[in-house]
Order: sequence, then C-alpha cells, then structure tokens
Amino acid sequence: MDFEWDPEDAAYREELRAFLARELPADWATLSKDGPGSDAQLEFSRAFCARLAEAGWLTQHWPAAYGGRDATPWRHAVLGEEMWAHGEPRGSQYMNVNWIGPAIMQYGSDAQKALHLPRISAGSVLWCQGFSEPNAGSDLAALRTRAERDGDVYVVNGQKIWTSYCNKADYCFLLVRSDPESKRNRGISVLLMPMDLPGVEVREIPSVVGARYFHEVFLSDVRVPVACRLGPEHEGWGVVTYALAYERVGAARYAKAALVLDQIAEHARANGRLGDPVLQERLAEARALCEAARLLAYRVIDGRVKGQPPSVDTNLARVAGTEADKVVGELALEVHGSEALAYESFAAANFRLSMTAGVAVGATEVQLNLIAARFLELPKGP
Amino acid sequence: MDFELTDDQQAVLDGVDAILARFAGPARAAELAAKGGYDDALEAALGEAGYAEIALGDGTGALEAALVAERVARAAGGVAFAASGLVAPLVAGRALPGPVALAEADEEGPIRFAPAARTLLVRDGDVARWAPLGPGDVELVPSNFGYPVGRVRASARRGVESLGAGSGRRLLAWWRVALGAEALGAMDAALRFTVGYLRQREQFGRPLGSFQGVQHRLASCAVAIEGSRWLVYEAAAQGAPDEAAACAASYALAAAGRVHRETHQLSGAIGYTTEHDLHVWSMRLQALRLELGGPGAQLRALATERWGAPPAGDRR
Repeated sequence: MDFEWDPEDAAYREELRAFLARELPADWATLSKDGPGSDAQLEFSRAFCARLAEAGWLTQHWPAAYGGRDATPWRHAVLGEEMWAHGEPRGSQYMNVNWIGPAIMQYGSDAQKALHLPRISAGSVLWCQGFSEPNAGSDLAALRTRAERDGDVYVVNGQKIWTSYCNKADYCFLLVRSDPESKRNRGISVLLMPMDLPGVEVREIPSVVGARYFHEVFLSDVRVPVACRLGPEHEGWGVVTYALAYERVGAARYAKAALVLDQIAEHARANGRLGDPVLQERLAEARALCEAARLLAYRVIDGRVKGQPPSVDTNLARVAGTEADKVVGELALEVHGSEALAYESFAAANFRLSMTAGVAVGATEVQLNLIAARFLELPKGP
Repeated sequence: MDFELTDDQQAVLDGVDAILARFAGPARAAELAAKGGYDDALEAALGEAGYAEIALGDGTGALEAALVAERVARAAGGVAFAASGLVAPLVAGRALPGPVALAEADEEGPIRFAPAARTLLVRDGDVARWAPLGPGDVELVPSNFGYPVGRVRASARRGVESLGAGSGRRLLAWWRVALGAEALGAMDAALRFTVGYLRQREQFGRPLGSFQGVQHRLASCAVAIEGSRWLVYEAAAQGAPDEAAACAASYALAAAGRVHRETHQLSGAIGYTTEHDLHVWSMRLQALRLELGGPGAQLRALATERWGAPPAGDRR
C-alpha cells in the first residue's frame, strides 16, 4: 500500500491549478451559478475545452492511437477533481472524454471514429445522454423509445426525460428499443444521433436546481441513419454497460464538497462562529465524509490502473460521495443563514447542485442494492 | 498510490491470522471477558512470532502494525496489541514492557487493559510519560464492555519518565490511529457476523437479510466501514499526521456507533444474549468510543487541525 501521489501527478495538479487561475474569468462564480448545464456555461465550455485540448490535457488519458497521451487513470483523476472542484468548466464535455469517446473507440466504425473522436478531443463538440424516460429512470431496462428500421434509416419515436445539456448539444448518445418485440435489456441499440435532425424537440423542465438543468426530448419520426448506430443492432445494453463501467466513479463530488467546506469554515471564522464547538463538530463530520469518499474513489481508480474489472468498490464510492456532497450542501445553507436565500449566493448555488447527488447517475438506493448483493452477498428479495 | 497489500504485508497478515485462529475468536473472548482476564497465551504467541516489534521492524512499520491491530480486533483477541505494538513503540521509539495501557493524566475513570498492564503510557499535556505498573497500582473494575478495565492510583497515573517535548502530541495522534484500527476490525467482524445471521434467520417466510429495508441499512454500514478502512490505513502509512489521525478517529468512531446500533437492531433479542457472538465486538465498539474524550472530541480536534478552529473550553 502506498498513499502518496506520484511527484509528477502532484506537479501536474499545480500546473492545472495555475491554468485554471489563468483561464477562468473573474466572474466565473456568477457564470457558473446555474451549474454545468446552463447556456452560459455550455458556451463557455467550447472555448475552455479547446484551450484544455491545446494544452494536451482534455483527452490525455486516451490511447495515443486516438490522439491521447496514454496518461494514467491517476492523472485523469487529478483533472477530474480539479475540474469538478472548480464548478466543472468543461460543462458537459466531461462525458465526452470520460465515456462517450472510449465507447466509440471500442464499438465505433472507422467512419464514426473519424467523425467523432477528433472533434471530442478538440473540445469543440457537445453531447447529451439520452437514457432516462418517463417510465425508465432507475429501471433503465424498461425503456420504450422505438427505433423501427426503414431501409438505411431508423425511424425513432418516443420521449427522453431529465436530459441535461441537450439545449446546446450537437449529438445525443441515445438508447432506443430497436426490436419492438424485445423485453428488458435485450433488443436495445445505441444511436449517435445528431440533435439537429427534424423531429427532435427539446423542452426545458423548469426546476429548482438551476436554469436549463433538466429537459424533455421528444422524438417524432426522427429519421436516424443506420450508420449512426454504435455497436451491433439490438445489443446496445452491452455498449452502455461498457461505457458506464468506463465512467466508474463519475464526477469527483467529494473534491468540490471539500473545497466548498473549507469556504464554509472560512465564512464561519469571519463571522466569529468557528469557536462554536457544535459547529466545529458538524464541520469536522462533513470533512471526514469528504475524506472517506476521496479514498473510496481512489480505491476504484487503483483497480482501474491495475486493469481489474469494475467492482462493488464503485458503488461504495458513489454512496460515500453522495453523502459528503449532501451534508456539505446543507451546511452551506446553515452557516450562511438567510443570505443563502439569494439565488446567486455561494451557499444557494452549492446547495442546489448538491441536491442532485443521490439521484443523478443512478439512485443511492440502487447503489445500496448492489452493495447488499455483491459485497455482503445478502439473499435476493422477492 | 497503491491500495493493495504487498506480498510482504499479506504474509504478515497470514501469519497473524494463523495465530489468531488458535488463540482468539468469539468463544475465547467471551470466556476471558467474563472474568476480566487477559490473553497471556495470545500475547506470548504474537511475541514469539515477532509481532511485538513490527512497528519498528526491518521493512515493516506503522501501517503493518495498524493492520495487525485491526486483525486482532477482528478476531476479538484479548490483548492490548494496539497500545503495545502500535502506539507505544511509535511514540517512544522503542518497545516498552508490555502489555501497555494508555491513559490520560487527568482521566480518573477505569482504563482499558490496566489490570494486566506492566506499563502505563500517559498523556500529560504536551508530553507523554511512562511508568511501570505494579499490582498495587490498579483496582480491577467489573465491566461487560469486553475488555479488562481497572482504576489506576492517581500517583501511578502521572507517569515517571518523560518522552520529551512533543511526545504528548505524538501519543494523541497514534492513539487516534490505533482506536481507528481497533474499531475497524471490530466493526468489520460485527457486520460480517450479523450478515451471516440474517442470511439464514427466516421470518415472514424468508431470510431477514432479503428485505430491502434491512439490506440498505447493512449496506450503509459497509460504506462506513470501508471508509474507515482507508482513512485508518492512510493515516498510519503517512505517520499519523495530526489532521489525518483526527479524521480517521472521527470517522471510525462515528461508524462504530452506527454499526453497534444497526447490528443490534437487526439482530433482535438474540443479539443481547451472550450465547450470540455479536456482543464480543459490539460492546467493545462502545468502549472504544469512550476513549480520548469520545467522538465529539475527535471531531473538534479535526476542526482545529483543519481550520485552526479555536479549541476553547476543550481540555483535550
């Protein structure tokens, strides 16, 4: 066991922080108040990711054959932590580089690779993820959006929901039921659908999380070329499983939570409250949650470095990260008091984002089910 | 970064597990606990195999000692390994005559392992002192928290030989890491034991462990235990930095409370009985939460280390 950072990775973190200090505008806190899905932040991400790409960092963890630098998962984790901690200036593009690109490398045709990978690694393209449906949330295999084959196109009809980033997205990583007779996770295909096709309609779902956070995507007789299908027909579930295994721990929520927590403590000090032993205990409890989440996430990265298959460590890390994020979000409100009522306040902005922890990217209850089954080997329920 | 045991670390643990399989386990723990006894046979076996020197060994150190302390606690071993084999050598820079009991100069309550201890290692403000303990110094106190405990005479609690400036702080940090390691081992065992029971215990026509309402609570305990694991290992590997040590103890002692509560609740009435093994770990978990001022004191210490929060009114 060894818990020290490789000196080169540690130096990289410093370099990255200097880069962020240079590249993030002075009004970044205001710009990012609505979270990574807002129009302002998505537009910003196109310029920002292009700069990140110029520095050679956007897709550094990709294989050299696809324009990457074969950087280790640790190096990529440093990037993920620093980005998420600073309000995710990559916007939605973290998805591109984390799992959409790798899924295309694994399953894509030569034409798909040639079309998508250079644009993703240049940081100039936005994607959204067309998974959830009104009746397929945590139970993703219940999805119903149909894709009927008509010569060399699929005619797609259905509805996606809770979609983030689709207001500005160029492409959608879309899950459809290509075999109408199929049930559950068989008969599903993945389409790399251009968002500007006729019949794609995006409507915002106003929410308390932030502007432009959630959308519905209505798909009415959208004619998607068969050439846009990623991987074998009807076998998209395998593609998704592969793609999400690549994602593993997801956003480094603990890194943001730890940074926000330090700021909360500074606010408490400035207001003469840091001597309050009750508050000290609450702050420390949150700090310990962040640290536990960090190490559980590192355990997942370590497994990945060693080429181990995805394991229940991912679920443990996600539950811990969620808890840390939520506890810190609430503390932000409490410590800032009524100032937090202001929409643009630091506390409110962080609280809003923390609200989605535990629901986004798979409900905590599903993670707990998986821990019970795979880690504790408890018997299946009815 | 590397989150897996090296081959050498695995060999250390295989060796200690073999000893624990002979000289520890819940049945032996319950028998010893009933009479407030100390496991001299286990102590001797660990000593003969060289585990007493592992914290200052050739190619082994604090992390290996913490791993052994965890294993001993997991097997409900009736020895003060965490104090004797982890804390004392790392604070004193040499092994002290064991068993070692840890104390705070101004704490008058019963002290874990004091009835069997040959050495008392005392935190007195900024310094650590140690003193040999004689038979007349300790009064055995009946207790059912799973450890032999005794009250130490005030004169003996001051310690004799100072370990120098800063040693009090070092003692505090290593003590916190040790508490985390012991809690980790006992929590892990308590949860595994309870999971085993709930897999086979049927009510309402199916195993209790198949109910989602039960599973989620056990899974949450697993997250708390695995989080404790890495915080304790990291703090030990890094030499017990003050902040990391306080963080590990804060998290692990909170987790210990949760695991105690949940394992008992989900075990039902059988969990309170001495015929059911849960108590050998669960009661110890609560005893660990009483040291160094308890979970709240670890949290306040973490706030002080992290943010320089004023430790006003906090004697620890």
